[in-house]
Amino acid sequence: MAEKSFKTSPRSFEGSPILVSPIGTPLRKVFNRISGFASSWGRRTAPRGRRIFHRDVEQEEFQYASTHCLSSYYSVFVARLAIMVMLAILIGLLTILTWHFTRIYTTKSLNTLTFGLRYELLQRPILRMWNILNSTSEITTAQVKLSEYVIRRYIKPSNQAEQVELYQMMKDITWALFASRKALNAITINYRNGFVQAFHRDHRSNNTFYIYSDLANYSIGASESYDSKMPSSRHGWNDQFIHGNVSATWYREPLDPITGEKTGKALPIPPDDLINIAGPSQVPDGVASWHVAVSKYTDSPLLSAALPVWDPSNTSIVAVVGVTTALYSVGQLMKELVEAHSGYIYLTSQEGYLLATSTNAPLLKNTTKGPKLMMAVDSEDNVIRMGAQWLEKAYGNKFPPGHVVHVEKANLGSQHYYIDSFFLNLKRLPMVGVIIIPRKYIMGKVKERALKTLIILISASVCILVIGCVCILILTNGVSKEMKLRAELISHLDARRRAEASSNYKSQFLANMSHELRTPMAAVIGLLDILICDDCLTNEQYAMVSQIRKCSTALLRLLNNILDLSKVESGKLVLEEAEFDLGRELEGLVDMFSVQCINHNVETVLDLSDDIPKLVRGDSARVVQVFANLISNSIKFTTSGHVILRGWCENPNVSSDSGKFSPDQKKPLSALKTKLKQHGNYMKKDSKRDNKMILWFEVDDTGLGIDPSKWESVFESFEQADPSTTRTHGGTGLGLCIVRTLVNKMGGEIKVVKKNGPGTLVRLYLLLSTPADGTEQHGQMNFAKHSVAVILALHGSMGRLIMSQWLSRNDVPTLEASEWNELTQILHELFRARTRNCGFDTHYALGEPLRSKIHSLQGMRNPVYVIVVDLGLLDLSTDIWKEQLNFLDKFSGQVKFAWMLNHDTSNAVKMELRRKGHILMVNKPLYKAKMLHILEAVLKERYVELQKRSPNGSKGTAKEGDSHECLEIDSTHFETCSSDDSDNSEMSGANSVSSLQTGELPREGSVKSSPSNCQTLKNCLVEYTRLDAKCENSNSPEQPSVSSSAKDRDNSYTSKAANGQKSLEGLRILLAEDTPVLQRVATIMLEKLGATVNAVGDGLQAVDALNCLLDGEEHRRESSFRERRNRFETEICDSPPYDLILMDCQMPKMDGYEATKAIRKSEAGTGWHIPIVALTAHAMSSDEAKCLEVGMDAYLTKPIDYKLMVSTILSLTKRSA
Amino acid sequence: MEVGQMQGRLVDYTKSLFMEGFLDGQFLQLQQLQDESNPDFVVEVVSLFFDDSEKLLNDLTMALDQPNVDFKKVDAHVHQLKGSSSSIGAQRVKNGCIAFRNFCEEQNIEACLRCLQQVKQEYYLVKNKLEALFRLEQQIVAAGGSIPMMEMGF
Repeated sequence: MAEKSFKTSPRSFEGSPILVSPIGTPLRKVFNRISGFASSWGRRTAPRGRRIFHRDVEQEEFQYASTHCLSSYYSVFVARLAIMVMLAILIGLLTILTWHFTRIYTTKSLNTLTFGLRYELLQRPILRMWNILNSTSEITTAQVKLSEYVIRRYIKPSNQAEQVELYQMMKDITWALFASRKALNAITINYRNGFVQAFHRDHRSNNTFYIYSDLANYSIGASESYDSKMPSSRHGWNDQFIHGNVSATWYREPLDPITGEKTGKALPIPPDDLINIAGPSQVPDGVASWHVAVSKYTDSPLLSAALPVWDPSNTSIVAVVGVTTALYSVGQLMKELVEAHSGYIYLTSQEGYLLATSTNAPLLKNTTKGPKLMMAVDSEDNVIRMGAQWLEKAYGNKFPPGHVVHVEKANLGSQHYYIDSFFLNLKRLPMVGVIIIPRKYIMGKVKERALKTLIILISASVCILVIGCVCILILTNGVSKEMKLRAELISHLDARRRAEASSNYKSQFLANMSHELRTPMAAVIGLLDILICDDCLTNEQYAMVSQIRKCSTALLRLLNNILDLSKVESGKLVLEEAEFDLGRELEGLVDMFSVQCINHNVETVLDLSDDIPKLVRGDSARVVQVFANLISNSIKFTTSGHVILRGWCENPNVSSDSGKFSPDQKKPLSALKTKLKQHGNYMKKDSKRDNKMILWFEVDDTGLGIDPSKWESVFESFEQADPSTTRTHGGTGLGLCIVRTLVNKMGGEIKVVKKNGPGTLVRLYLLLSTPADGTEQHGQMNFAKHSVAVILALHGSMGRLIMSQWLSRNDVPTLEASEWNELTQILHELFRARTRNCGFDTHYALGEPLRSKIHSLQGMRNPVYVIVVDLGLLDLSTDIWKEQLNFLDKFSGQVKFAWMLNHDTSNAVKMELRRKGHILMVNKPLYKAKMLHILEAVLKERYVELQKRSPNGSKGTAKEGDSHECLEIDSTHFETCSSDDSDNSEMSGANSVSSLQTGELPREGSVKSSPSNCQTLKNCLVEYTRLDAKCENSNSPEQPSVSSSAKDRDNSYTSKAANGQKSLEGLRILLAEDTPVLQRVATIMLEKLGATVNAVGDGLQAVDALNCLLDGEEHRRESSFRERRNRFETEICDSPPYDLILMDCQMPKMDGYEATKAIRKSEAGTGWHIPIVALTAHAMSSDEAKCLEVGMDAYLTKPIDYKLMVSTILSLTKRSA
Repeated sequence: MEVGQMQGRLVDYTKSLFMEGFLDGQFLQLQQLQDESNPDFVVEVVSLFFDDSEKLLNDLTMALDQPNVDFKKVDAHVHQLKGSSSSIGAQRVKNGCIAFRNFCEEQNIEACLRCLQQVKQEYYLVKNKLEALFRLEQQIVAAGGSIPMMEMGF
C-alpha cells in the first residue's frame, strides 16, 4: 500500500516534466533552498523578492534580474510540489498504519478466539468418546465382577440343574446390567464350555434380543477337559473352540426392552451372524482388550471391550465378557456441534481408520468380505478426505509428538481451512481427532471488512490528498501573489525613496551651487556698478556696461529664484512670523508695477475689500514675492487691458466682492467656496483660537490666457503654458512654481480658475494670522457727514469703475469721466451758473443717468467736490494742456483737484500745476489708500482753512507747498524704486531682498522713524498732516537735508550723476575694525562718499569713543537740535554724536556683539539710538540673527560691497535724521 | 623702455594676476578708491596687508609649534588673515585660509601645518607679484606716464 502511495507522488512529479526539467542541474540547489524555505516561508520570500526587485531597479542588471525571477518562479513551483509530496506521504503512512493495526489486532484476537473454539469443539467429541470408553469399561468390569461372584457360588456344578440355575442367574445379572445401560449395543458372555449368553439391542429397530446357544451341546465335562488342556494351548482354545462350534445353534428371542420379558419365540440363528461375541481369543493374555469392530447390521463402527472372568483360584479363565458400544453417538454429537459451528470433525484410530465423522458419509465400506473400516483418506466426504490427505502429505508418518497439529491456513481445494488435530492416547485404543473449519467461516468476514476498510481508507486518503493539494495550490498561490505584490510595493517604496533622495540631492546641489554662483554674480554686479560710476566711459561703453548690468541682475534674479525653490524643496525655507501691513505692501507692489504697465498700455488695479485686516502676521517678503511673481507674469502676457489684484476676506456668509462678478463668473466662485467651506469651517474653528484668517486673492488679467489643460502644470518647475513664449517673453518658468510652493507653505492653495472673457484668473488663498488686538482697526472716516463728492476723471476704466464702486459703498457720491470732454461736461453741468465763459464747452449730450446723478449732487448742502484728474486727460503733446488747466482753474474755488501723475510726468508740468496751486498730486495708480488720503487731505485742508481763514491765508499756501514737496518727493522715491526694478519683468528677487532689508529693521513705533525704501504714501501724508497741525511756528529743519540725501541716493542708484559719490556727505561714522587692511579700505571708501570716518581698532575703543560723547551729550542735548540743523554750513562739532557705527564682529579685546550690547546699554537713558551696522565675514543667517539680537540694525558681509553699504547706511541714517 | 610699452606690460601683468586667480574684484575696488586725495592708497593698504600678514603668519607658526596647540587662537589668527586678504583681493591666500579654518575646526594639526605652509607660499607669491606690479607702476610714473585703469577682463 505504501508503495502505491509513493508511486502516485513521483508520477505527479513526472506529470509535468516540461516545467521541472529546465531546472535540471540546479534542482539540487533549489531543493536545498526549499528545505530552508518551507520552515520560514513568509520571512524569506519577502527579502528575496526585495532583492530581486532591487536589482530590477538597476537597469544594467535587468537581464540578470529577470532570470532570477524565472528561477524564483521555479523554486516556488518546486516548493509546492514538495509540500504536496510530503502531504501524500503523510496521508499514505497514516492510512497504512491504521489499516495495519486494525488488521493485526483483529486477526490476532480472532485467532486466539478461533483457537479456543476449535479446541473446545474438538474436546467435546473426544470427551464423549472418553465417556463412552469409560462407561463401557465400567460395565465390563461390573459384569466381570458379578460373573466372578456368581460363578464362584456355582464353582462345581454337580448337575445339570445347577448348571442351568447358574446360567439363569447369569442371564438375570447380565440383563440388569444391560438394561441399566441404554447406550450399550450388546453384552456377551462366553463360557469356557462354549455356552454363549448375549443381550443385543438394535438401535435402528429398537428391538432387544436375548441370544443364547443350545445348552445341550455344552457340558461341564467338556469344560473340564478343556481346562486340563488349558495351560498347554491357550491360544488354540479360542479359535478352535469357536470354530469347532460352528455347528452350534444360537437362538434369539426378542425381549421387551424395558421389562426383559420374553415377547416372542426363540428363533435359531447361525452364530456370529448377528453380533460379534467376544471370545477368549480376544483376551489372549488375560487382560482387557479393546478394538473397533464392525457389524453387519449397523453402519457405524462398534467399540468392543473384552475382559476375562477368572476362577476363584485365579488360575484359569472361566468366561469372557464382551461389551459392545456403538460409536454412533459420538458422530451424533459431532453433527450437532458442526451444525452449530460449521466445519468438519472426524475421529480416526491411530492407523487412520475413521471412527466417527460429523458428516453423513458412510464410515464403512462394503467389501466382499463384509463391511470394513474405512481409512480417513478414503472418505467419501471431500473435505475430510482432502484434510486427511493434506495432513498425510504435510506430516507423513512423522506426526509431531502427541499428534497435535494446528494449521491455520491449509489449502484444501480452492478454500482455506483451519486444521487442528488432537491425539487421544488411550492405552489400548489410541485415537486422533481432527477438526477442519473453513477459514472463510471465521476470517471471511474479517477479510472482507479489511478489504472494504482498506478501499475506503485509500479512497479517503486520495480524496484528502487531492483536496490538500488543491488547498496548498490555492494557498501558495495567494501567498505568492501577496508576496509578489509586497515585493513590488517594497521595490516601489525603494524606488521612491531613491527618487526622493536623488531629488533631495539635486535640491541640495542646486542650493549649494546657486549660493556659490551668487557670490561671483554679486561681484560682477558690484564691479559693473563701479564701472558705471566711472567717468571715463564713452557713451557707447556706458550703454554696453549698463546692458551687462541688467543682464547680470537678471541672472542673479534667476539664481535667487533657483535658490528659493531649492530652499523650499529641501525644506530649509522658514517663513518669518512678523506683523506687517498687508495693504501697504500690496499698494507698493501695485505702484511698482503700474510704472511698468503704463508703457504697455495696461492698467494695474488694486482692489482690496474693506474687511481685509490691516495688520497680519506672516512673512511679508514672501507674500510680496508671491504677488510680484503673479503680477509680473500677468503683465508679461498682457498687451492691453488690465491686471487686477483683488483681495477679500474669507466669509462664508457674505460674498463681499461678488457684486462685481457677472452671474456666470460667480458660479465657479461659489462652487469653490462651498468646496472649501468645510475646510474653511475647520479653519474658522481654530481661527477662533489662533486668530487665523483665510485671505482670498485673485490676479485677473486680460492677456493671452492659459489653455485649460495646462492649468495644473503651469505651477510645475520649468513649465510654461506655451514653450514658444520663452522666445517672445523670456522667463524660466520658475516663478509660478515658487509661488505655489510659497502659497502652500503659507497654508494656502493656488489654482487657475475659469474666466469669462480672455485672460487668466489665478485664485489663491493664504492662511495668515492676525495680531490678537488688531481687529478691524480701519479708522474709516465717515465721509457722508462731510458731504464729499468725488468726480473721477480717469483713463483706466477698470480702476475707475472699482474706485467708484468703493466710494459709493462708503456713501460718497461719485461721478465718472473717462476723457476731457466728459469732464468739462460734468463741470459745466455742476457749476452752470458760475462758469458761463467756459471756452471748452462743447455741449456734450450727457447720458440721462449721469445727469440725474449730477442733479442729486447739486442737491447736497455745502458739498466738497473732489475731482481726481488723470494727467493723461490733458493733451500734453501740444500746449493745449495749459489752456485746459486754465479752464479748470476757474473751478478751483469750488472744487479741490487731485492730480494723478504719471511716473514720467515732466517737471515742467508739475511746476505749472504747483504754480496754479494744485498741491494734491499722487502717482498713478489710484487705489483705496490713496483715495482715502486725498479725501483726508482735502477735508483737513478745509478744516484748517475754516479755522484760520483770514490772517494766515498766504502763509498756509507756502506751507502747503512745503508739504506738497514732501509728498512729491516720496512719490519720486517710489518711482525710482520701481524703475530700478522695472527693467526686468521678474523682479521677485530684488524685491524680496529689499523687503528683507525692511524686515530687518526694528519697527520702532513712531511713524516718523519708520524708514524703508518702500515707504508708503500714507506715512508721508500723515507726516504732512502732522506738520500741518504743528503749524507754521517752525519749518522742519530736517526736511531739506532728508530730501537732498534721498535725492542723492536716488541718483547714486539710477544715474551717472556727477555728485553721486558724495552721497554720504556730512555723515559721521565710527568704524570699529581690527584688521588694518580692512580698516583702511573701509575708511577710504566712506571718505570717498563724503563721510567723516573715525576708525578704532577694537570694540572697547569704540565703546569708549561713544561713551565720552554721550556723556557730553547729556548737557548738550538742548543745543543738539540747532547744531544738527546747522552742521551743513558750520561743521563745528568738537565731538558730535556719530550718525552710524560700522562694527566688525570679531575683534580682539571686545568683539562686536559685546560692544553693541555695551553701547545699547549706555544709550538706554538717553533716548538715542545710533544705528549700528555689523560687519562680518560670516555669511550665515544665524550670525545675522545674532547681530540683530544684540541690538544691531543691519548687517553687511565682508568684503564690503560698495553699493549695499551705501544703501544700508542711507536707509539707517535717514531715519535717525 | 617706452612708456606705452610699459603700460601695456602693466595691463597684461595685471590681467595675468586676475587670470591666475591671485587677485579678485576686491583689488579693483581698491584701485577705484585711489584718487588724487590718496595717490598711494593701494600701495599703502597692500603694505599694511603685508605687515599684518607677516605678523599673523609668525604668530601662527609659533602657535602651531606649541606642544598643545590652542586651536581657538589659531582660528582667530586665520580668520583675521582671511579678512585682510579678502579685503585686498588676495584670493588664493583667502582660499587657503578657508581650508585652514576647516582643519582648525577638525583640530587636525598635520593638515593645519600643511595649510600654513600653503598659505605662506601663497602669501609670498602674491607678495612678489604685487611688489612686481607696484615696481612696474612706479617705473611708469617715473617715466612720466599714467597708470592705466584696469578693465574688467574676466
